[in-house]
Formats: sequence, C-alpha cells, structure tokens
Amino acid sequence: MHELSVALEVCRIAEDYVGREALPRVREIGLAVGRHSGVEAGSLLFCLESLLTQPPFTSARTHMERTAGDELRVLYLEVDDERPAH
Amino acid sequence: MSVRRIEVRERVMERNDAMARDVRARLAGRGIFALNLVSSPGSGKTLLLERTLRDLGDELHMAVVTGDVQTQNDADRLTRWTNDLVQAVVTGGACHLDARQVTDALGALDLDALQVLFIENVGNLVCPASWDLGETAKVVVFSVTEGEDKPLKYPKAFQRAGYVVINKTDLLPYVPFDVEKAKALALSVNPELRFFETSALTGAGLEGWYDFLRRSVRRPVASMAQVGTAP
Repeated sequence: MHELSVALEVCRIAEDYVGREALPRVREIGLAVGRHSGVEAGSLLFCLESLLTQPPFTSARTHMERTAGDELRVLYLEVDDERPAH
Repeated sequence: MSVRRIEVRERVMERNDAMARDVRARLAGRGIFALNLVSSPGSGKTLLLERTLRDLGDELHMAVVTGDVQTQNDADRLTRWTNDLVQAVVTGGACHLDARQVTDALGALDLDALQVLFIENVGNLVCPASWDLGETAKVVVFSVTEGEDKPLKYPKAFQRAGYVVINKTDLLPYVPFDVEKAKALALSVNPELRFFETSALTGAGLEGWYDFLRRSVRRPVASMAQVGTAP
C-alpha cells in the first residue's frame, strides 16, 4: 500500500547520488527487495515506472533482485557518461 | 557511450530509521515511555486511549500523537481528555505515520513534563509495521471481531510488536473468537509477545493495562509536581 512512498524514497536516494557525484544520465536502478519487506514488487515497479520519466532518469530501467528476509535497499545505479566508447 | 555502475547499497528506509533513532534517543533521554498503537480500523484504539487518558490522567502525564486519515474525529474525541494532543499531518489516503511526522509532533509537546507518549497510528495492519517511529514498543490492538488468524495474515505487525491488546472482550459471548487460539497464533509468529485482554467499552481488564503503564514509567511520578513549577 505504501509502494509509492518507497518509490519516492528510491528516487530521492538516487538523486542524492546523482547530485553529489555529478552523475550523468541514469540508465538503470538496481534494487534488492526482500520477500518479507512488506513491499509488493509489482506495485513498486509500477510506481517507479511512473516516476522515472524525468531527467536524470528519463527511460531508466529498474532491476529488482528478490531476496530472503526484509531487506529493502538500493544496490546500484548504472549511469551513462554519454561519452563515445573507445 | 560509456556505461558504468555506481555501488549504492543504501537502505531505502535509512532516512526514516535515522529520524526514528533520534526520536528514540530524545524520548529515552527523558525517560518517556512511548507506545505506537497499530491495528486494523475499528479495533478500538481511540476508545482505549480515551479511557486511559480519563482514568490515569491524574496519575500520569500522557500525550497522544494521532494520525487520522480523513477526519478530525479521533482528535475531537481525545481532546476531551488531554491538552497534550498533536494531530500528525496526514494527507487523505495515507496508510501509515512516519518518523518525520513524529519528529514534527514532538516539537509541539513539552517533553520535559511527559511520562507516556501514545502514537495512534493509521488503522492498517500492513504498512505501519514497516515504519519505525522511535517508539519504545509497538502495541497491536486486536479486537475479537477480527478473527483469530490475523497474526498469520499480518505477521509483520505482530513480529514487530512487543504487546497485544485483545480488545472488545465484552463481545466474546456473541462472536466465534477463541482467545487462546488467537494468542497461540500470535505467539507462533512472535514468542516474546505479552497480552492484555480488555474491553475499552466496559472497562473490563483495563486495570492490567494501567498497571503495565504505571510500571513502565521511568520518570518518577513524584517529580511531576515539580515540572513546570520550577523557577
């Protein structure tokens, strides 16, 4: 029921990293969501899909690892430096 | 295009939990016993608090933070019995209180004069279980009209709680609710739980709840008279 609050907090954590480390565009957010975290995975993905439409998240994907226990964690951000590959 | 991965590994609840730790430290520093009441809607939280405030108001200095989703009803009922009521800002449809709201509420209370703080959470057995508010303990208020299997359906609420108030016992003759079975199921998800059996309506069993509150107060009752009168 509170997946939107959780999704907003995921975005805030990601935005903190983006601001602090001057990161360019985010391509993917990696999450760990425990089976006993009290979060419904499909609903959280749906909320994130709705939120991840603005820069620096435009078109960002969510990768969710289901884990045991009640873990709820942002694992990583995958960013695109928008520099040509060597 | 150059793609790289930044390790984050940050808990989503960390900001809330950091605020909850701060609340807990502030309350513990003043010896305030804080209970976070969670339950389904209609379990009798507000009536239990009304009775408690009325019956113990001369003995204990108590305050209430209440989170009502859509109405002023709970706040209107509780303000009859205490001047120390803070209504948390809860927007329509919110499903729980968080530590930020409790932090804000503490700012409106005279903590130096307080012995017991009740946080009346939003009626919901799912979401409030996930949010630490900095309370000393969570209390599940569980009414006999709900069915004994609530602890199995909503295990997290019972796992995170220290106490269960089985309320509306005046209705036991009329409903097929087995108190011992309900306790056994609750203990199966959390063996540490302690129980109270009450009817907030008739007052039956409330003395045990009151004794528990009296015993849990760490700031001496005698010191209350001095609070607020010191130069």
